[in-house]
Amino acid sequence: MNLISVQFLLFCAIVVIVFYAVPKRFQWIVLLAASLYFYWTSGNRNILFVLITSISTYFAACGIQKSLEYQKAWVKEHKGKIEKSQIKAFKEKCKKQQKTILVLTLVLNFGLLCVFKYLHFAVEQINQLITSFGGATAIPDAWSLIVPLGISFYTFQTMGYLVDVYLKKTSAETNYFKVLLFVSFFPQMTQGPISNFKFLTTELFKEHTFTYRQYSWGVQRMIWGFFKKIVIADWMSVFVNDVFQNYPSYTGITTLIGAFMYSVQIYADFSGYMDIVCGFCEILGIRLTENFNRPYFSKSIAEYWRRWHISLGAWFKTYIYYPIALSKWNQKLGKRLRKVFGKKVGQTMPASIALVVVWLVTGLWHGASWAYIAWGGVNGIFIIFSLWMEPVYDSWKRKLHIKENSFYWRAFMTIRTFVLVTFIKVLPEVGSLQDGFGLWKQIFTNHVIPHDLHQLLPFAHSKFKLLALAVSVLLIFITSMIQRKQPIRQWLEDHTHYVTRLILFAFAIIIIIHVESLISDVAGGFLYEQF
Amino acid sequence: MEELLEILEDINADVDYETETNLIDGKVYDSFSIVTLITEISDCFDIEIGPEYLVNENFNSAQAMWEMIQRIQEEDE
Repeated sequence: MNLISVQFLLFCAIVVIVFYAVPKRFQWIVLLAASLYFYWTSGNRNILFVLITSISTYFAACGIQKSLEYQKAWVKEHKGKIEKSQIKAFKEKCKKQQKTILVLTLVLNFGLLCVFKYLHFAVEQINQLITSFGGATAIPDAWSLIVPLGISFYTFQTMGYLVDVYLKKTSAETNYFKVLLFVSFFPQMTQGPISNFKFLTTELFKEHTFTYRQYSWGVQRMIWGFFKKIVIADWMSVFVNDVFQNYPSYTGITTLIGAFMYSVQIYADFSGYMDIVCGFCEILGIRLTENFNRPYFSKSIAEYWRRWHISLGAWFKTYIYYPIALSKWNQKLGKRLRKVFGKKVGQTMPASIALVVVWLVTGLWHGASWAYIAWGGVNGIFIIFSLWMEPVYDSWKRKLHIKENSFYWRAFMTIRTFVLVTFIKVLPEVGSLQDGFGLWKQIFTNHVIPHDLHQLLPFAHSKFKLLALAVSVLLIFITSMIQRKQPIRQWLEDHTHYVTRLILFAFAIIIIIHVESLISDVAGGFLYEQF
Repeated sequence: MEELLEILEDINADVDYETETNLIDGKVYDSFSIVTLITEISDCFDIEIGPEYLVNENFNSAQAMWEMIQRIQEEDE
């Protein structure tokens, strides 16, 4: 079921009515039924993989929990009665058992993800390698499988839960159907957010009462999301696709504008989706993890990644960055380096090693291609470089008397970060890695100055559409500025009721005017669905 | 506690550790500072801070960190 469809809106309306009509203790069952229906209508084969993940995770989590409880009871019973070494040996035995269950389940689930997402890429690389060595036989490339809907998102979310149970950060859920809802909750199925078990289940399983304010705020956010997606992202995609496909024939400045437009497009697309699903959940009284915090106002790449796709960053930080940075071997390495090269090197090296792994995996998570691996690598290089250069930058700032809180410095850093982020973003999106570098080259080497608007923006056939798009982007910018001080919907509520209505009405009109995009080729899927 | 305060001030001297209770949730410390902090605490108090201790509540204030250190030391005995 496409989110940008009348069918989806009707489905949402039915879910809301039934959700509030049933006794509160059954509300989560309505969500489960709706989620399964959503999955079924999105391709019934998808549901099989959700079942594999939920069933394997349910039994694994319960098994680990049982072992933990047995271990605790046994230690309590024998403490003081037997040797400490015996207790330690028993604890180690239990830990081994828990680890086995964890590892097997991780292998099964991440294995499935790898088969669907990466096998084709791996086979392609092996075949190329064989051919380059003059080999004749190649592995049959019959692995181009259709990736099950949302598998990257729900696999990460569910495996995070299992690791939390193993680390005693949360208790295992004993009701299988509640685990199934946690895995399959439909609003976050296709593009996240990747939620923490404790947070999401608290929201899903509490009793919800209908309030007008929740309804009104939820609807406002949904409209805002549709506006971002339909009016900005889908329109922008026409221009962006044109530039990306024909960049060798465009001037450097036109290509640069296309690249900036892509930055706006992907933000409007992904955050628009988040606004739609968060708004819908808000009507139900369910909070979802926020995935965006005005990312283009960041002053460094590291900060940008703390404000863009927040839930994915948090997952990588919790389950990859910290375990590697704080692993025994990495800490030992840090201590050795500290003795030889000093404190800064000893502290920075373990974090840098962890960051290299995190960014290569982040690249792979986004797509099985060298372009995405390079994209992850470039992000990682910038972040690691800043980490090492921090003392140098601080010294430069002191010498140049730069005040970090001054408006001009903050504006400079924000614009610089936006430009860098844009250049990194376009790298995997043009096509191949070669095309990505080709687009960079075009920006820097084709210095032809356009003499009129048509030469500057040859892809913009309709001046009206271009103007409407510019106004829409300006609206997002103004909204973001207001949100720096207070939530925009609070701001709307604090002003006259008529103003609120007028603004919403204007949005609705704009969407209706462009409703043709719902049925034409312009209305595309969401960019993050492919991940 | 004094040793812990020394470590914390070395990481960020601009914080009042007597009153600050939002070091992680309030994003006073970023992930790099957290790794540095854990490394320094492990080294100074000769303890191993396992991943199960990596929750915000244990690092939001100097007092919470001190209590965590004591818990780990008790468990190690």
